[in-house]
Amino acid sequence: MADLLIQVREVDGVAVVLPEGFINAHTVRMFEDTLEKLVVERRFNILLDCSGLNYISSAGLGAIMGLIETIRENGGDILLCSLAPNVQTIFDTLGFTQLYRVFPSAAEALQALAEKA
Amino acid sequence: MRPAAPPETFRLVIPSQTRYLNLVTGLAKRASLVAGMDDATAAKVSIAVDEAVTNVIIHAYKGESTHKVEIELSFLPATMEIRIWNTGPGLLDGEVTLPDPREYVKHPRKGGLGLLLMSRFMDEIHFREAGGRSECCMVKRLVG
Repeated sequence: MADLLIQVREVDGVAVVLPEGFINAHTVRMFEDTLEKLVVERRFNILLDCSGLNYISSAGLGAIMGLIETIRENGGDILLCSLAPNVQTIFDTLGFTQLYRVFPSAAEALQALAEKA
Repeated sequence: MRPAAPPETFRLVIPSQTRYLNLVTGLAKRASLVAGMDDATAAKVSIAVDEAVTNVIIHAYKGESTHKVEIELSFLPATMEIRIWNTGPGLLDGEVTLPDPREYVKHPRKGGLGLLLMSRFMDEIHFREAGGRSECCMVKRLVG
């Protein structure tokens, strides 16, 4: 099985990114390419659905950090949902839950984006 | 008085390639569970190991894939110790400055988070050079 598979689907103008597996220094390039492609396509409303994400290291966090300013400057945001407990712990430990809006489910995150629109 | 039993130790040597990270972190997690840690703590140890090995591959060896990274796990009565060695340049205890996570929140940027995660998820971290090698030693205390 591959270390990481990433699906991207469009839901009501939101790019929902579904990483499945592990984001670490080995797989981060694929994750970064996915996010960068969305930015190039000017798809600035992004939901990172972490329901299939087993693990994210600082390499993956750096990929998000590297794009968040550009995305917000263009009126968009990266929201996160469905974090596994160990992924939630990483975000909490680094204070990232102050930087990103985290939702229990994709439906709640999409609802929040719809209300903002 | 009987002398203390030596720690039970095993070693893994991997090529300096990130494709082996999952192998190492999986081993670190399983070893943590064997040592008696719960799932959440074992996950933290595996992340700290990922970060430490990644630092070696990316920074000490500058991504060159032909070197070796040696990982040693030792089970002691009250702790698990993980030592990671490389033959490239390493850090020394006095040189390590941890980033302030509040600064990351104020000014998002890439980089510098690995050491912070290691320090938050382990009880002790030490860096030193010995015998021509650089060592990162991480200690996790067993609770209960």
